[in-house]
Amino acid sequence: MTINGKICKAEEGEMLLAVIRRQGIDIPALCDHGAVEPFGACRLCMVEITKESWDGWKKHVTSCLYPVEEGLIVQTHTDKVIELRKTVLDLQLARCPGSPEIQQLAAEYGITQTSFEETIDSDNCILCGLCTRICEEMGFAAISTIGRGHLKEVGPPLKEPPPDCVGCLACAQNCPTHVIPYEDEGIYRTIWDKKFERIQCSKCGKLGITKDFAEALIKMRGLGEDYFDICDECRRKETALTMGRISQWEREVVE
Amino acid sequence: MDARLIVKPNLCIGCRTCELACAFAHSENGKPGRSRIYPLDGGFKEMWTPVVCLQCEEAACVKSCLVNALRRNPDTGAIELHQDICVKCGACEAACPFGCTLHDTQHDKYVKCDLCKGDPVCAHFCPTKALVYEPIKVAKARKAG
Amino acid sequence: MRITSPQQLEKLRKECIARLDKFPRKVLICCGPGCLASGAQKIVDEFKKKLKSKRIKNFSVEAMKETGCHGFCEQGPLVVIEPDGTFYTKVKVKDVDEIIDKTIRNEEVIERLLYKDPKTGNKIEKYSDIPFYAKQTRIALRNVGKINQCDIDEYIATGGYKGMAKALTKMKPKDVIEQVKKSGLRGRGGGGFPTGRKWESCAVLEEQPHYVICNGDEGDPGAFMDRVIMEGDPHTVLEGMIIAAYAVGANEGYIYVREEYPLAVINLQKAIEQTTEYGLLGDGILGTDFNFQIKISRGGGAFVCGESSALMKSVAGEVGEPRAKYIRSVQKGLFDKPTVLNNVESYANVPVIIDRGGDWFAKIGTSTSTGTKAFSLVGKVRNSGLIEVPMGTTLREIIYDIGGGLQNDRPFKAVQTGGPSGGCLPADKLDLSVDFDTLTKAGSMMGSGGMIVMDDRTCVVDVAKYFLAFLNNESCGKCVPCREGLYQLHALAVKVSEGRATEDDLELMEKLSENIVLGSLCGLGKSGPNPFLSTVMYFRDEYLEHIRDKKCSAGVCRALITYEIDEELCDGCMACIGVCPHDAITGAKKKLHTIDKSLCDRCGACYAVCQRNAIKIL
Repeated sequence: MTINGKICKAEEGEMLLAVIRRQGIDIPALCDHGAVEPFGACRLCMVEITKESWDGWKKHVTSCLYPVEEGLIVQTHTDKVIELRKTVLDLQLARCPGSPEIQQLAAEYGITQTSFEETIDSDNCILCGLCTRICEEMGFAAISTIGRGHLKEVGPPLKEPPPDCVGCLACAQNCPTHVIPYEDEGIYRTIWDKKFERIQCSKCGKLGITKDFAEALIKMRGLGEDYFDICDECRRKETALTMGRISQWEREVVE
Repeated sequence: MDARLIVKPNLCIGCRTCELACAFAHSENGKPGRSRIYPLDGGFKEMWTPVVCLQCEEAACVKSCLVNALRRNPDTGAIELHQDICVKCGACEAACPFGCTLHDTQHDKYVKCDLCKGDPVCAHFCPTKALVYEPIKVAKARKAG
Repeated sequence: MRITSPQQLEKLRKECIARLDKFPRKVLICCGPGCLASGAQKIVDEFKKKLKSKRIKNFSVEAMKETGCHGFCEQGPLVVIEPDGTFYTKVKVKDVDEIIDKTIRNEEVIERLLYKDPKTGNKIEKYSDIPFYAKQTRIALRNVGKINQCDIDEYIATGGYKGMAKALTKMKPKDVIEQVKKSGLRGRGGGGFPTGRKWESCAVLEEQPHYVICNGDEGDPGAFMDRVIMEGDPHTVLEGMIIAAYAVGANEGYIYVREEYPLAVINLQKAIEQTTEYGLLGDGILGTDFNFQIKISRGGGAFVCGESSALMKSVAGEVGEPRAKYIRSVQKGLFDKPTVLNNVESYANVPVIIDRGGDWFAKIGTSTSTGTKAFSLVGKVRNSGLIEVPMGTTLREIIYDIGGGLQNDRPFKAVQTGGPSGGCLPADKLDLSVDFDTLTKAGSMMGSGGMIVMDDRTCVVDVAKYFLAFLNNESCGKCVPCREGLYQLHALAVKVSEGRATEDDLELMEKLSENIVLGSLCGLGKSGPNPFLSTVMYFRDEYLEHIRDKKCSAGVCRALITYEIDEELCDGCMACIGVCPHDAITGAKKKLHTIDKSLCDRCGACYAVCQRNAIKIL
């Protein structure tokens, strides 16, 4: 297939976005993440496609979701596509005027101020759905989107501390606009108004993942009960000592 | 080739060249990354041993990853942590019994030894050949014989 | 009793016809949604009561039918005497006695209950002579209004399940598909995709199982075509689905009914039970080895769930959000399996197509839009209700010949077709043929059949605002162009209607609309700006009037109008004073009343009660 005039190869079953990225072309894709299925919500990755057999007829598709086809001719930065990206960013800026990430991305496309009214319930959530999709992929599905349309928001069931959350922070870590707050204070971690206790290394006291997360991993993956008792640093030291003992034995036996 | 990094602690002199080489081989934007290999005190006289990912056959890191971001590369033999899939939950760091999955706090990502895509720099620079990158077949033959 | 052969079915058919002929004269009471709202239930109860107590030769309560919608909702409650064809309108409970004594007993016609033709002033006795009915061709609605709403015997008596029997015992699945293809039937839900081709593309897929779904979500405001079919003739939907399932190789089907249609759910459920009992649904249909089950799935009150991929998610118990359909749902639909989804009206046509052949159907309508289409004709038209006409009928014929023209003979301004996704067409488009393609070329679309007639007292900016508000509210919220775009487009429309907009705003609206259409994930978003785009195309001056002159000539946009009382016409009756919620009107009995404009918010309450038309909107 051809991307921006250059011929390139793709594997069957791949989506356009992966191929485009392999060519080093940078197009924004806010709701895309390797851990989850593509969603097609942000519309920023839209590209123009056509084929010779289409006689000049063109289509605009989200590259994150469009499977590669033999002979596809792709253009990633046509006027129409750029105009669309600008409108999407303009709209996002109306919704999240205070988000530095959106401001930066909009500026890349020449938009410094929104042409629209700032929406009444503006916060910095761009509703990309990454937090909920990742949480579901990991097997917890502790949060989801609530409501429909403009009033849609992300939150736990009944907006109460989510029973299924284990405090792994995957949602917060992958939010493109960093709007999910969490707090680490002492041995406690709070997110979604739920308080968790973190594991302390039994040797050095270093803080690790939450006890709930550890328990979930033990159950889901069949690991031993006290598997997470020691931190990575102490484990490295222990490994060195174990290997030391083996080497010492080798020395004595060999020498 | 399917190969493994063979560690020979008895040859390690604790010079930490491997650690340095690893950090620079994985630098980003001019800043060195976090080293994936650490020569540490072996507990005996003049005993150091490099602690590095052993690319376990039944790896705990792979088992603990809920999004399947850790996968074996059949060409190099390494278990690679795919950054585009990783959700930064830290389960792998907590799970590795040898402490070889690490949190690179500078670049805010989790990292592990990827055998430098088939030509590990630590083995390349080790002055005493305490680190050797050996095809599995050769390693198995050596062990048997 | 299980029917295990076509011969047995024919025998039953003859028995049902004979049973129905026991009382050759019948009284049909319309129990469609419009008439029910006008009080038809009380009339039904009164008929039941009176018929049980009186003794009439060759007549009894058994000869009374509670039918589905007759279509002429404007004139309801409706009562029809067959086979006379006598058509009574606006029937009241106190008329029932007279109807029974005069018309049923003595075949006497009651003049005052007859329909009065507004053009000639004459009373018309038979409904077949009324232009509203005379010009219709009812195929999908063939049984609605004629049979008891949920009676399988009556359905069989009128030819029901004949098409199914033919398909299952005399045809192969690909023959069925061939007939549907020949018929040229296109999706009646509005998409207009060739049904035969859809079935064919599913039938060839190896992945199992296949599913058949009926889309009964009917979300367009004002549309009730599917409702009357599901309520008034549920069996035709079932028969259509069974034939479809046989053609594509499915053993499980779902009917997705919107939450707001509880009666449709009840009637469909009853129909499923009746059909299963007769062995015409379930395992071994009609004695063949074809198995097919139908379940009903209820919606949750979301317009977006009328979109096929969102609908399938809803059926599966997930949140009804559409997905990008680069991989069509006929390939990966319900539970990611090959699925055929068709509209209620599409299925209603299928039994007749199989029974009489695809060629017969293709002769009706136009060459690219074959058959007929049901429309809900509402708005400022005289005869509002439900009609079915051959494709190719012009807007003018529908609105003037069948619809009887505009109420109060006001000038025609526009007709909104195709629901929220459609658009407004002005007077010079009245001679356009109504079909899948002609209206689309003109900037609107036929859609699922909604037709809202507007006169000069309708403001197009207000209409656009209304539909944008609806679509914005119903957006699922997944993609940015629809969720944020329609919100902003609506906000700008409000600005225009309040006289606060500039010409730059109009340009912004046009640019935004273009990008919403380009960038939206599903049909709701892609067609969302249509209410604005079609009105600005044909009525740009009206928009500019709002913007430049801050004027609303239709007298609708509250911020731009004032109410005044005409000195000459006011008779001092004080009716308006009584209803004004802001006490803005002052005046004594039999003296001129005046409106305090600073208190008046133009709610229209006084306008509605004034018997002298003395309230002027400026």
